[in-house]
Amino acid sequence: MTEERVKRKAQISFTIRSEKETRHHSGVASILYDATLDRIHSAGRDGVIRTWSAVGKGQIRYIHSMEHHTDWVNNIVLTCGGKHIMSGSNDCTVKLWNGHKGFCMSTLRTHKDYVRALAHSREKETVASAGFDRAIYLWDVNTLTALTATKNTVTTAALTGSKSSIYSLAMSPDGNTLVSGSTEKVLRVWDTRRYTKTMKLKGHMDNVKALVLNWDGSQCLSGSSDGTIKLWALGQQQCIMTIRCHTQGVWALAAPESFHFVVSGGKDCRLQFTDLRNSNCLSILLALEPHPILSVCLSPDLTMVWVGTADSTIRAWPVPQVSPHGDDYISDQAYAGQPLMEIEGAPAIRQYAVLSDKRHILTKDTKGYVQIYDALKAVKVEDLGPVNFDDVVKERSKQVYVPSWFSVGLHTAMVTIHLAQDENDCHDCLGAWVSAKEVGLLSATAEVDQKVNYGRLLLQALFEEWKRYSVPEQQQQSPVETPVNGFFSVPGHTPCVIGEQGGKTMYRFLVRDAGGDAERSCLVEAIPQWVAEQLMDDGQPPKFIKILFFLTPQMLNGKSLKKERLFANDFISMRKVMEHVLEKMEEDAPTLDTTSSTSVNPEERVKLFCLDVALSPDADLRTVKNQVWKGPGDLIITYSLLKPV
Amino acid sequence: MGTNASQLEKEIGMEFPPNERFFGLANFGNTCYSNSVLQALYFCKPFREKVLEYKAKNKRPKETLLSCLADLFYTITTQKKKVGSIAPKKFIARLRKEKEEFDNYLQQDAHEFLNFLINRINEIILAERQTQTTKKPGSENDSKGQEPTWVHEIFQGILTSETRCLNCETVSSKDEDFLDLQVDIDQNTSITHCLRCFSNTEMLCGDNKFKCDNCCSYQEAQKRMRVKKLPVILALHLKRFKYVEQYNRHIKVSHRVVFPLELRLFNTSDDAVNPDRLYDLVAVVIHCGSGPNRGHYISIVKSHGFWLLFDDDMVDKIDASAIEDFYGLTSNVQKSSETGYILFYQSKDCTG
Repeated sequence: MTEERVKRKAQISFTIRSEKETRHHSGVASILYDATLDRIHSAGRDGVIRTWSAVGKGQIRYIHSMEHHTDWVNNIVLTCGGKHIMSGSNDCTVKLWNGHKGFCMSTLRTHKDYVRALAHSREKETVASAGFDRAIYLWDVNTLTALTATKNTVTTAALTGSKSSIYSLAMSPDGNTLVSGSTEKVLRVWDTRRYTKTMKLKGHMDNVKALVLNWDGSQCLSGSSDGTIKLWALGQQQCIMTIRCHTQGVWALAAPESFHFVVSGGKDCRLQFTDLRNSNCLSILLALEPHPILSVCLSPDLTMVWVGTADSTIRAWPVPQVSPHGDDYISDQAYAGQPLMEIEGAPAIRQYAVLSDKRHILTKDTKGYVQIYDALKAVKVEDLGPVNFDDVVKERSKQVYVPSWFSVGLHTAMVTIHLAQDENDCHDCLGAWVSAKEVGLLSATAEVDQKVNYGRLLLQALFEEWKRYSVPEQQQQSPVETPVNGFFSVPGHTPCVIGEQGGKTMYRFLVRDAGGDAERSCLVEAIPQWVAEQLMDDGQPPKFIKILFFLTPQMLNGKSLKKERLFANDFISMRKVMEHVLEKMEEDAPTLDTTSSTSVNPEERVKLFCLDVALSPDADLRTVKNQVWKGPGDLIITYSLLKPV
Repeated sequence: MGTNASQLEKEIGMEFPPNERFFGLANFGNTCYSNSVLQALYFCKPFREKVLEYKAKNKRPKETLLSCLADLFYTITTQKKKVGSIAPKKFIARLRKEKEEFDNYLQQDAHEFLNFLINRINEIILAERQTQTTKKPGSENDSKGQEPTWVHEIFQGILTSETRCLNCETVSSKDEDFLDLQVDIDQNTSITHCLRCFSNTEMLCGDNKFKCDNCCSYQEAQKRMRVKKLPVILALHLKRFKYVEQYNRHIKVSHRVVFPLELRLFNTSDDAVNPDRLYDLVAVVIHCGSGPNRGHYISIVKSHGFWLLFDDDMVDKIDASAIEDFYGLTSNVQKSSETGYILFYQSKDCTG
């Protein structure tokens, strides 16, 4: 809606999570079976690719996680016989991984929008990537694996001409034919040797979300949001079969290269098996998943299909087999029964509320369990179990106003905190000043209180290691154990991202690694100026937020004539205002009272009101403005004097 | 002026409808934006009746914009002569008091004025309703407050926007009230075409992705707006003033857009209450000139089967075929034009 063309400001985001997250937290969008090692790779919408070993019947063991993406991983492909994995994500990048050890080898930032689909040619070791920026890029895997830190430029070939966002891709094993599916509702077939479009296949009524090519690239299966699966003969440029076994969008397809059958799934949660050997295309319901199906993957022996859904649990279901005697598949009533195997996922966080202290966040997951997170220290504080969310929000809300200084994202089904600087924005990261005593950063018995800025403290904690190692060693005063910000540190495993507001990821690091040589050189480039200001000792500390208000004596009848215009820090307490009133009184009539004002308790002499509500001496100015005054226009506080006792 | 008035009476002759008055409105310095809209509203029968009813019910009201309007309409209907012109002095004075933007002698946007007037009338009715209910203790305050006012009953329709997330394919819909539809226009087209474009599917993508509650993230989505409740009087505002960055100002778009005398909406939602409503064109506010802050406003209205042109204090009978002159220009060369700007369509099924 905004027509601004300004370059987006950089923001800092981090995710609050456990050090090891061995289970998927959200939907599983892509599954691969590595036949050489009998391993399964699954790509999650929590941004993590996880690897499992499938040794023995029903035995599944977690091996490792591939963590580097900062948003949904939409698709993964296995290359070089399982040695390498490539992945495409909503963070707009394509990544190359060491498939056996699970580390990220390189990140390709060519795409300008979400990367939604990948396709791989086994014979040529080419990978195609495509997404919402409408471009298709072809990558030579052998070139990518040869990249080093110094030799890190890649040239890529682009197939352009698609008029809409691409949601699906398929490549023939020889790599010569590529098919793309998009919101254009057509299939575009490309010749990868000439970089040209060879044909456009019309027939679907909606987005094309899944594609598979057969062994020689002569036939193609497509699954569409229109609820149909179509079989196309590319040579004749026509659709030869339309399969209507789903009631809603078809999102996932898997077929052996021979195209004897196809397994499909989609929004209607139905896992269907369709025999493609004759035109009656008999379709059997294999299973009814509890959630819409996002991905299907056949085991190499075609006896099982692994299914990923919008929920985090992966299940394996049996695939019907051809009877040894006849042509028919053995019909087995038990197909829609129990899964053969299950990889249990963790619940996804789907709801949140920032509590009134603007520090604690209440969340609720898909199991109905409620948790409390501390945004400032980047940790989960409490598991409350299956309690009523709204009740807890009410219970834990206090009559206090603190400016909002961060925003929350749940796109990875975990709590992600975004910190951005914008003086006009309601979530300005540096806008919240609080008393360290009141918020428990200093003990209540501490001699002096201190005003601290939430955003500044947190930024210093996130970049603690970077700060330690950026200061020349001889100047390091504090021992390594004390927190750089003087109060607390955040967990070292916390992933932190520098990115565009609501857009691309620029750099990701773990809090404990920020002091490493490689990280430091990258961070020098990536840290936004407004963050650096808060980390440097000579940088400008954030400004106090000032509020304009009027102070006027309460009159019994008629309007008051005197109105004092005041400009004060938003966190000052009403007690300070009372003191001010008393001081003013003394100035105006110094001889009236011989006792010095300092000896008088201001609360006993002055009463403050806002819109006829009596104000507590502990209330701060911003709370009065936002919770009592509320309306627009300048805040007016009235005072009345009590007779000295 | 006098000759014009008697000429008009002669021209209409025997057909002159009983109890009908055709009175021009004097211009107080660029108040044609108000005159043209007031004439159009006066000839929207359901609206006129309600305003006169208000006048009859409130003998000594506090002066408001509505009371001034009611007085003006009442003055017109009770004129001894059948034709002539009067000066809406009190109304304009009140208008200038109520809204700073209108308190000058500059040309104003007729659509902005219409919008302001309808909304203000609604506020006045609600406020009066409030004081009435508080006077009578024990009456249900809440139910009364939610009931639509007569001005909303006449002009208000409901638009429903349906958004389909392309990731999870869930459709979410949201209703919003409207008092007029603001439609973009294309050269050499018709209102029907423009309304179809109004309801075209819009793709939310790129920097404008949709925040899907179901997916907890920003996704591509398709959005379209359709009419769910058709109003009694459908006011269509043709977006003829377009901001052009190059000139740093609004430029008039004189495109030729045909508006039929009879209209049926095709961009209704599946659950629309009254999708087959058929409309008659009853009034058109016309902008003459080259830009939004210059030029002149006139209006044409239909009364008892014939068409009249109101140009401030002047009233003329015109042929229905002359309406074509106000469709717009076929050439794209930007120049001064006399073009339909706000169309008032009245539902055939209303007994006004």
